[in-house]
Amino acid sequence: MIEPQTISAYVDGELDAAAVDAVEGAMASDGTVGAAVERERSLRARLSACFDPVAEEPVPERLRALLEPASNVVSLLEARERRAARWGWPQGMAIAASLAIGLVLGQTAFSGGATGIATRDGIAIASGEIESALETQLASTQPSDASVRIGVSFRDGEGAACRSFTTASAAGLACKSGEDWRIAALQQAGGAPRGDYRQAGSGEAAILAQAQAMMAGEPLDAAAERSARDKGWPLKR
Amino acid sequence: VTTFEAELLTLLPKLRRFARALTRDPADADDVCQTAIERALNARASWQDGTRLDAWMYRIVRNCWIDETRSRGRAAARFAPEHAGLDVPGDGPMQVESAVTGRDIDRATAVEGLAYRDAAEILEVPMGTLTSRLGRGRQALMAMLEPGQ
Repeated sequence: MIEPQTISAYVDGELDAAAVDAVEGAMASDGTVGAAVERERSLRARLSACFDPVAEEPVPERLRALLEPASNVVSLLEARERRAARWGWPQGMAIAASLAIGLVLGQTAFSGGATGIATRDGIAIASGEIESALETQLASTQPSDASVRIGVSFRDGEGAACRSFTTASAAGLACKSGEDWRIAALQQAGGAPRGDYRQAGSGEAAILAQAQAMMAGEPLDAAAERSARDKGWPLKR
Repeated sequence: VTTFEAELLTLLPKLRRFARALTRDPADADDVCQTAIERALNARASWQDGTRLDAWMYRIVRNCWIDETRSRGRAAARFAPEHAGLDVPGDGPMQVESAVTGRDIDRATAVEGLAYRDAAEILEVPMGTLTSRLGRGRQALMAMLEPGQ
């Protein structure tokens, strides 16, 4: 008498040589054992036919994207991008931005410097001095004592124009969306006191790192910056 | 790409197959894979280098699915509503099978093709428990698939 579990284990290839011999001996002498083995085999074949093709399907992009960087080069920036991608761009950045904005505004960092962050429908956008600097000021011609300084201008993966900026108290990154400059990131500037002379602090460094992570292609040069400004920062593919 | 992520990437087809068999639903399967990958990335520190990543991932997928079915309520957990692709008779006697057997079937289909030792590790049960549950699940499946016998 062969136990059903033993027949299962035989079909699964989990028996040792002696036990295999015993089952095969029983199969030779007892037709019901052979039939039981056949049932077990056909069940496995049926399950395999059901589910094995799943492993042959192309893996959905949303799953691959969790694990795949944009390119094959390993870098911290890509790790940042992937973290952002996990949330789904641009929600990840928007969440990060609103946290940072909360911190910055909470510390009244803007009290003595340039004003210019507002919200529209819960999204932080540039206003006032920051907005007008983003819209019109060129990095190549801005005065050295500008209250809002423009840093790098570039296109993000969606083709939107994005620009980094610093004020006396904060560093940020904004991208043109319709009529608005949406704040993609905002940091308190480096912890350095306000003054005439200020080194790029950790705030600016973090913003620059984020700018590089978002950037598609090269930063805009002076001519491209001027041309984009003159056209009103249109989306570009 | 770190080795960890690269290895997870190559595991994805197997994980999807495992999840499909576990959940019996393509959308549920990919959702549970996504949750599991996110959980794995966050918990990568708890994966010991040199141990099997596939078994570790299968366990995470299974745990994510348990959490999901719990959050949907016990009624949903009792039995996958449709056994997609399995050609199960719509209202056969096995449709009112007990919850225990339903879970055994899910386990049996999910670990189909794995070595007993790996399956026991994934389901976190001793070998003896695994083989008896596997047996129950398969018997129920065979009865469903071959109503005449």
